Amino acid sequence: MRPPSVSPFCIIWLAAAAAHAGTVVDDSGTLPYNAGLAMRWEQLEPDGSGNHRMVGTLQLRVRLNVAPWQRHNGHVYLVLPAQQPGDISAAWTTQGRLLPGHVVAGSRALVYAGLITTPFIEDVVQLTITVDGRRMLSTYPVNFRFEMDEN
Amino acid sequence: MNGRLPRPDNARRAARYAALAFLPTSLAVASGAHAFTITLAPAAPKTVYFQVGVGTFTGTYCRRNCTVPPILQSGSSAPGTNTTINQVSVSVSANAVGNGTAQSMTTDSTQASSFFDGRAFCTLPTQLYIGGYYRTTGNGANTALVTATLAASLMDAAGDTIPFSQISWTSGGNGDAGAEPFPAGSFTGTSIGVGSIAQNHWAESCWTFSYKNTVVPAAGTYTGRVTYTISAP
Repeated sequence: MRPPSVSPFCIIWLAAAAAHAGTVVDDSGTLPYNAGLAMRWEQLEPDGSGNHRMVGTLQLRVRLNVAPWQRHNGHVYLVLPAQQPGDISAAWTTQGRLLPGHVVAGSRALVYAGLITTPFIEDVVQLTITVDGRRMLSTYPVNFRFEMDEN
Repeated sequence: MNGRLPRPDNARRAARYAALAFLPTSLAVASGAHAFTITLAPAAPKTVYFQVGVGTFTGTYCRRNCTVPPILQSGSSAPGTNTTINQVSVSVSANAVGNGTAQSMTTDSTQASSFFDGRAFCTLPTQLYIGGYYRTTGNGANTALVTATLAASLMDAAGDTIPFSQISWTSGGNGDAGAEPFPAGSFTGTSIGVGSIAQNHWAESCWTFSYKNTVVPAAGTYTGRVTYTISAP
C-alpha cells in the first residue's frame, strides 16, 4: 500500500508551524521541575493604591538540552502561556548564562541569543512570579516552557 | 541527457528519505521536551488586623511606588500583637452627678497616628483609635464584622452599678469625610456590632466617648470592660 501522498505536505506544514512558534526545548533537566510556590501579599496592608498583587520567589537550576542546535545560531525564549488564574507575570535574574528578563502571561521573553556552543545551557535562575490576589481562588499549576528559534 | 535523468529522481528520493527520516527525529526531540510547572498556592490567603487604642505593626512594605521587576518584599512585615488594654474614663464632680449634662471622656491611649498611612489621625486624649484591615484572596464583596461584647453595667467594689448604656460615642478622624466605617453609637446591649471592614480594605475611625450622666449612682469608681472582636467569612 502506498503511503498517503499528502504526507510530505504535512511534514512541510508542521515544520513551518514549528518555525513560527519556536521549537520546544527539552528542559527536563531543570530542577525543581514541578515546584510549589507559596504566594504572599506583596503589600500586606491594603492602602487604597489598588495593589492586590501576590508574589512568590523560587530558585531554579535551569538545564536546557540544546544539542540539536549545537553549532547553530539560535534564540531561546522563556514562554509563559496564557493560563489560569490569569494576569500572571514573571521576572527573573540569572547568573549570566541566560538573560534576565520579564514576561507576562501570553508572551515570551528572550533568554539566550547567539551560537549554541554546548549541548546544554545551564544557569541558576531566581524567578519571581506575580499574580493578582483577587484571582487566586485556589492553587494553580502554572506552566512555562522554553522555545528555540533557529536562525 | 537520458543518462542523467536518474540523478534528479535519486535526488528527490533522497530528499524524501531525508524528510521521512527527519520526522521521527523531530518527534524524538519533541517527546523529550517538557514544560516545567510551578504550582501557585496562596500562603496567607486571609489576614485580619484590628486594634482598638494602641497597636503594633512592624516591618516594611512595598508601598505605592512598588513596581516590577524585581519585587522587593520584607519577609518580616507583619501586624504585631499588642496586649495593652486602654482605658476611657471620666471623673464627675459631686455637684454634677446625675444633672443630665453629658461628660466628655478621655483615653489613656497614645495611638494618635494611623498605621494606614502614618498621619496624625486621632486627637489625644479625647479620641480612641479603632481600625484594621481585612485581606483575602478572590474578588468578592465580603466584610469583616467588628462586635463589642460587654456586661450590662459598670460596677464598683461595693457592687453598685451604672448601666453601660450611659456611655456613647461619636466618630470621626482628622481629614475624614463621608461615612465612618465605625460609626457613632452607644452600648445598648451586651453584644453589639460597631462597624465593618470591606474585603481588601483598611478601615479606621476615631471615637470620642461621652457619659450621659442621667443617673445618680453611689459614690465610687465604676469599671467595666468592652471586648472587641473581628470576624471574617
